[in-house]
Amino acid sequence: MTGSRSLRLGVLYPREMNLYGDRGNVLALVRRAALRGVELEVTTLGLDGGDPEEIQSCSGFLIGGGQDLDQLALAHDLVTRKGPALREQVSSGAPLLAVCAGYQLLGDHYRTAAGDLIPGLGILPMRTEAGRRRLVGNILVAASPGLGLANPLLVGFENHSGRTILDPGLPPLGRVVRGGGNDGDSGAEGAVLGPVIGTYLHGPLLPKNPALADWWLFTAADRTGTTIERSQLDDTAEEAARREAIRITLSGSRSRGYRLLGRRPRIRRTG
Amino acid sequence: MTRADPRLRLAVLGGKATAWASRSLGMGGGTTLPGDVARAIDPRILRKLGASPRLGIILVTGTNGKTTTSALLRQIAAAAGWRTGGNQSGSNLIYGLTAATVAQADLRGRMELDWLVLEVDELSAALAAGELRPGILVVLNAFRDQLDRSFEVDQVAARLGEAVAALPEGAVAVLNSDDPRIAALEGGPNASHFGIEDRELDRGGLPESADRPVCPRCGGSLRFDAVYYGQCGDYHCPACGWSRPSPAVRVTRLLTAGLDHMELNLAGPGGGAGPLPVPLAGAHNAANVAAAAAAALAMGASWEQIRRGLEEFRPAFGRSQVVPWRQSQVRLLLAKNPAGMEASLETVLGAGSGPVLGLALNDGIADGTDISWIWDVEFERLASGGPRWVVLSGRRAAELELRLRYAGLDGSRLLLRPGAEEALDELAARAAPGLPAPALLTYTAMLAWHRAVVGTGGAQPFWTEGG
Repeated sequence: MTGSRSLRLGVLYPREMNLYGDRGNVLALVRRAALRGVELEVTTLGLDGGDPEEIQSCSGFLIGGGQDLDQLALAHDLVTRKGPALREQVSSGAPLLAVCAGYQLLGDHYRTAAGDLIPGLGILPMRTEAGRRRLVGNILVAASPGLGLANPLLVGFENHSGRTILDPGLPPLGRVVRGGGNDGDSGAEGAVLGPVIGTYLHGPLLPKNPALADWWLFTAADRTGTTIERSQLDDTAEEAARREAIRITLSGSRSRGYRLLGRRPRIRRTG
Repeated sequence: MTRADPRLRLAVLGGKATAWASRSLGMGGGTTLPGDVARAIDPRILRKLGASPRLGIILVTGTNGKTTTSALLRQIAAAAGWRTGGNQSGSNLIYGLTAATVAQADLRGRMELDWLVLEVDELSAALAAGELRPGILVVLNAFRDQLDRSFEVDQVAARLGEAVAALPEGAVAVLNSDDPRIAALEGGPNASHFGIEDRELDRGGLPESADRPVCPRCGGSLRFDAVYYGQCGDYHCPACGWSRPSPAVRVTRLLTAGLDHMELNLAGPGGGAGPLPVPLAGAHNAANVAAAAAAALAMGASWEQIRRGLEEFRPAFGRSQVVPWRQSQVRLLLAKNPAGMEASLETVLGAGSGPVLGLALNDGIADGTDISWIWDVEFERLASGGPRWVVLSGRRAAELELRLRYAGLDGSRLLLRPGAEEALDELAARAAPGLPAPALLTYTAMLAWHRAVVGTGGAQPFWTEGG
């Protein structure tokens, strides 16, 4: 495949897992791929599709957020039908970016408020438990330098009641600057393991964090030997939207600083 | 209500005094604070006022169309000669409902009204139904709205179900047949359904922003045979056979003409009406009209009274309202969530409304602080046609610009004007003569634009409208 100029993106459950504008992530990847001289073909891997052969034909994957009910219906399909092929792809370096409920599904399990266990894919050594309060609001995260992002400050919006606990040794995607993150307490947000990134940031994530979109594209290109233009793009509009979001996030009253003073962060209660 | 209830009287007095003070001090319309004060003095005030003899109460809830449907109902009631009140300001949480109710009580705590028509927030509907014990509850729809507040659509539908369950015996639940989550609510033997039955309105598939409902009976995927707006249409479950309940009040034909006018035929028990001219546009508004007609029939109105009320109706605040600006005109349309934005966009583009369109996005609490929903709206349709320029405004104007660029619009068509006045200037300057430039705005952006227009003497403050 050396020298090829195309990549294939597999979007998992786009109908069911698109609660928070996650469609914007697909738009961002397609657009940036085109600007980098690569045609990104989008394949949907829904409940009624996504055979192992289809999964094997993809260069990388996206999975978004969904409602609790959807998550239940999907978990079984994800784990049993798509799990083996997905795991194989990821272990050979295919990027997988998972947001919110999709992130939770990558762990060992999700324990609902009612105590039910929803089994996850187990790609990330972590688990999620339903929390009493929901973490809702704009969020700012300093991504781990190990990812080598051109701009490591990630901005987005989080809205989740699940508390994700990473096993020792699984590094977070980054440290929370403003907002809740994995559990509202530890300051950790998301998780990274090789070509797999899980995060609670929607907003959607990639249009306002083009460095992360590039991470996905470069990882996919590296793995498939695809030629891709790697120079800095003109991100004037992206930067303007980023600045606007960062300014609003920083002007909010929720901050890590409160926790250092021994106070709980101000988090709105669930309805 | 007891004969003399000093606490109730004090609460009413306190509420009225607060409303008066708040207006006199120029603090705004005083649309919720009087409710806070009155409830602090007498927490049972709504129960007591709601139990006034001869007073009928109607609650209107759902994500989109509450204000319009309530206004339609008040107009029909007025046409029938009934004394009618409500919360015209749109303040629809429990404190706003209390404030509006107190405003219409006399100092002895009596309500000299035949009907109190209140729009109520989806998440407050169960509480309001428990306190006010309404005779009629209208449930319009459940869309994705301000997700950081309302959370997931299925949860919103569950809360609407609690409101229906909280109804007193004999009350009528007026439910939307076309929205599967609403149609599935247990309305009991008195339930009355409304819906659209004009296949000409089928948009040919669910929009990207629609929340795909699953079958409420078996959890399977629903199949849509027609989609009119959002996830509302004609559907059935291939797995278990559950299907859309047949509506009692139906829109049998809709002809939309322009941005602020349509003609429709209604059919229902005792006949129907039509062709009815109504100063609204779009399938979603046709559904609101059907909802109002179904509720009006439950109130005891005749088809003739319904027809007269609809004829005399004028749109509520920011619902396709034309305001003057610098020798030109701008048409303001509220678009507070993907379903509303999609519907307004469709209406605007369908009407072919000139060379420039305004979009204003704020992320205040009342708008929803999560603005990710704009990525679900099919702005792509602006790429290949529609207005030549798009003016982008509000606190998140840069996010809107990014969205439209990703939708395929060339940067030269996009004009970033975050402030209300500069955006109005740009729209006025580029509008075609005699054709108001349309602008779709979220709630607080609408307030800001309205304030700017009021500042130039072009419109009345919203809280005086209809009141």
